[in-house]
Amino acid sequence: MISESIIEGVQVRLRPLEERDLPTCVVWMADREVTRWLSAIGEPPTLAEEQEWYDRRRSDPDSVMWAIETAEGRLIGNVELRLTPTAHRAEMGIVVGDKAEWSKGYGTSTVRMVLRYAFKELELNRVELTTDEENHRAIRCYEKCGFAREGLLRQHRLVDGHFGNTLVMAVLRDEWRGR
Amino acid sequence: MDVRDVLRRPNAGASFLGTTPLGGEIAHLRAIQEADLPLLVRWMNDPDVRHWLHHSERPDATADTVRVRFGLEQQVLPNLVWMIETLERHPVGHVGLLQVDPHSKGAELAISIGETDCWSNGFGTDAIRAVLRHAFEDLGLRRINLLTDADNARGIRCYEKCGFVREGVMRERRLRYGKPLDMVVMGILKHEWEPR
Repeated sequence: MISESIIEGVQVRLRPLEERDLPTCVVWMADREVTRWLSAIGEPPTLAEEQEWYDRRRSDPDSVMWAIETAEGRLIGNVELRLTPTAHRAEMGIVVGDKAEWSKGYGTSTVRMVLRYAFKELELNRVELTTDEENHRAIRCYEKCGFAREGLLRQHRLVDGHFGNTLVMAVLRDEWRGR
Repeated sequence: MDVRDVLRRPNAGASFLGTTPLGGEIAHLRAIQEADLPLLVRWMNDPDVRHWLHHSERPDATADTVRVRFGLEQQVLPNLVWMIETLERHPVGHVGLLQVDPHSKGAELAISIGETDCWSNGFGTDAIRAVLRHAFEDLGLRRINLLTDADNARGIRCYEKCGFVREGVMRERRLRYGKPLDMVVMGILKHEWEPR
């Protein structure tokens, strides 16, 4: 589902992702420097394909998704929790699609806000994610937020014709609470 | 044959179709059929089997949940699922290649021997070897991974015998009877695999 809740932070604001955001998402997904780090498959999506993706997410009760906005109200990315309710677990996916806004701390603020929501509101026990082992900027952000490295899937992803490793990371509720 | 050709067949994504029969030394693998669902439901709800299933916390399995689990409903990436039978064609379990990704040429292995009196008889190892051969030689896949409970010593021993390598421990990844349980992630690459 597209989250109905708005989460206000100092640096960023998480709000429901809306259909009018989709053209911006299409621009991000056509940017190779952005998708380089995603486990994106094949050709960049068209607006119609992005609409299908949005509709799937909207009707999926185990997906919670927000748009990420700067304090000035500019859309810069989106973030999702894919829930496995019976295990009290979620997988996080985040993209800051606007390259001009990279390395400004927006991702870190967003991850912190989503973790708080996951552990306090959704009462999850574990939030996990996977990322490209070479995505050093993202890994630093996740570690700052409390994620620990748990494993390395060897030659798990295909990037520009070569196979790269996928890092598995997670943070548990008790670890997060102790921070 | 390339995995893309398999997925291009009519009804690709439905594991009832597009699944080639495979022969092992002591096991025969054939495509799952609608008629197998009651047996799969019985196995999945057997407490001794369910103990090791990743979804043991969910409500009891039904024909519908099994159908969804094996990807007979629409899915982004397809699943291939076989019944494991003795050479006399008596079904003892099932094995699947799930989320077959034609782009990265990877898939996830899932296996369960539902007839508990057939545990430790080598059916799992034989079935996995047959599926790995099919995945690497016929489908052109490059990597297979799996997740298993960290305390599943029998399973891990079998996976290591088949060539899987431990790649990490996912802490408290699932619940068993309400208690958090670590899971081991394992993987095997085509160049590590030795056909037998």
